[in-house]
Amino acid sequence: MLLDFDKLGLWKWILSAICALMALFLLLPILFIVALSFGNSRWLIFPPPGWTLKWYHDLFADPRWLSAAFTSAKIALVVMVLSVALGLLASLALTRGTFRGRAVLRAFFLTPMVLPVVIIAVALYAAFLRLGLNGTFVGFVIAHLIVALPFSVITISGALETFDPSIEDAAILCGASPWEARFRVTLPAISHGLFSAAIFSFLISWDEVVLAIFMASPTLQTLPVKVWTTLRQDLTPVIAAASTLLVGLTAILMIVAALIRKGKSR
Amino acid sequence: MSSPYLHINGIRKTFGDVVATDHVELEIAEGEFMTFLGPSGSGKSTTLYILAGFQDPTAGDIKLRGKSILQTPSHKRQIGMVFQRYTLFPHLSVGENVAFPLRVRRAPQAEIAAKVKRALSLVRLDGFEDRMPAKMSGGQQQRVALARALVYDPPVLLMDEPLSALDKKLREEIQHEIRRIHQETGVTILYVTHDQEEALRLSDRIAVFNKGKIEQVGTGPQLYASPATHFVADFIGDSAFLGGELAAVASGRASLRFADGTVLADVPMHGTGSAGGKASLMLRPERIELAAGPGAAGASLPVTIEDVTFLGNNSTVSARTGWGDVLSVRLNFGHPMMGQVQRGDALHVRWQPQDAHVFART
Ligand SMILES: Nc1ncnc2c1ncn2[C@@H]1O[C@H](COP(=O)(O)OP(=O)(O)OP(=O)(O)O)[C@@H](O)[C@H]1O
Ligand SMILES: [Mg+2]
Repeated sequence: MLLDFDKLGLWKWILSAICALMALFLLLPILFIVALSFGNSRWLIFPPPGWTLKWYHDLFADPRWLSAAFTSAKIALVVMVLSVALGLLASLALTRGTFRGRAVLRAFFLTPMVLPVVIIAVALYAAFLRLGLNGTFVGFVIAHLIVALPFSVITISGALETFDPSIEDAAILCGASPWEARFRVTLPAISHGLFSAAIFSFLISWDEVVLAIFMASPTLQTLPVKVWTTLRQDLTPVIAAASTLLVGLTAILMIVAALIRKGKSR
Repeated sequence: MSSPYLHINGIRKTFGDVVATDHVELEIAEGEFMTFLGPSGSGKSTTLYILAGFQDPTAGDIKLRGKSILQTPSHKRQIGMVFQRYTLFPHLSVGENVAFPLRVRRAPQAEIAAKVKRALSLVRLDGFEDRMPAKMSGGQQQRVALARALVYDPPVLLMDEPLSALDKKLREEIQHEIRRIHQETGVTILYVTHDQEEALRLSDRIAVFNKGKIEQVGTGPQLYASPATHFVADFIGDSAFLGGELAAVASGRASLRFADGTVLADVPMHGTGSAGGKASLMLRPERIELAAGPGAAGASLPVTIEDVTFLGNNSTVSARTGWGDVLSVRLNFGHPMMGQVQRGDALHVRWQPQDAHVFART
């Protein structure tokens, strides 16, 4: 190969350095917040003069933080299930259907990805005012479903496209009814796509803050919203502890997703 | 007369304006190996898909042991099929792939284990139960697919170009396996290919498809020795065609006049045509002899040698007729003429009267 990495000479080092700097740039804020969450300074001094678990104690002692985390998890789980189910149906139609306007429909399904989230948030807020959905669980789920669905559709239709429908035909000739073939063959064969879609849908909802701020009410708020509102009142290291937990769960799920992808390619 | 085992009865299938198959009529005996041979788009797969129930015919019927199967949905037809593409279930091991048809039939575990073992042994893959399909070669995957299609003893096994994705050597190896499996199991097989060598090697009988119709059905030697149409003569084996005009036709024999006025009389004629119509004379290259002059018996034409190509065990000689058509003649190694023939030589091509055929052209 002309651009073989080992033959790049000096460039090899420059590129490596750029990569390292980029990784550092992305990781530093996270490392910073993790360090602060264990630091004993009330004023978020960096580097921390000493170490403590006090902020985690405070976090778990405060029922408002716990209820926010619980709300976040509940919403994310429901969004995950709905997003995979609807994403699967939409992907089946997009990859197997022969109707006109399929390409247009696919592009349309992806618009929430490119539309500024604030615009979706404002639009939903206005619509939900009429429907009385602002500040409700259903409102949260719908809002997060809108931004999660495009990812589901992309990953699941990607998996379906690499699945040869002749395999389903083979299952049917083997004696499986069409539904049996779909459940026993097609779904397991695209399970890696379903899992990725589930994890990403969960994470999108779990981390989402803009829509959540619009949807939140004093009695119903998600963890990111709680971080945001607390931040505006008082700059306590408890926020760092909450953020660390948020990032921690995200990281674990990302690793699981990566493992699933690796398992698939093996 | 008892009804045939499998009767493809006047199947016609159209997709909009496209006629995929047009009144395909075929009777297949139990245990027979029948091959559909034909060029791309001639309707072979469509016929098979209708048998499998993936498509409904526009007209016609399919009868198995005298009973129509068209009303039976695909998954209840019990038919086995091996596809052109690899269709093993990617998430299941080889053993579970082969067990799948038995599992959906809710067979007892002991029976499943025994039948899977027997089926894998039939395709010479003993001990591969736990292998995942992705870790097998294309040839092995198709053999597993064959085991999966045979494990429930289907009355008919359909195979749609199962070897076309494999290289030539592997293909020949698996062709032998398929022949052996056919002999061991006695299963009735409908096999699709566009490779005439494969068709000749495997089949009891071959149905030659062209443009949605069956041109001729017969054993390999029958098709080769007495092709019914120009298309079959051209498709099976090498053949040389000389175009001309019918001078006279009478009781299955014709006289053919070529462009320079040469007339060949009394050649066996296939198809219908009348004096004045266009026709071609067909000769097999290995049945044509090259000689210095016309022989005492048989037919002959004067030719000029255009080109000689040495191909190892034989040489191919291109010979131009008086009116400009080119015939190719094969000289086997050791033939007295080999090495003697040169460009520009004026010689004669000769053949025995029964080796020439005239096909009317429409
Ligand atoms: N689903 C379909 N829609 C429209 N036309 C079709 C469809 N399936 C087949 N055809 C047409 O019917 C004709 C016969 O196709 P078929 O697949 O049976 O050919 P084949 O003999 O199997 O060819 P090949 O050797 O390329 O597989 C072709 O002209 C094809 O374009
Ligand atoms: Mg085909």
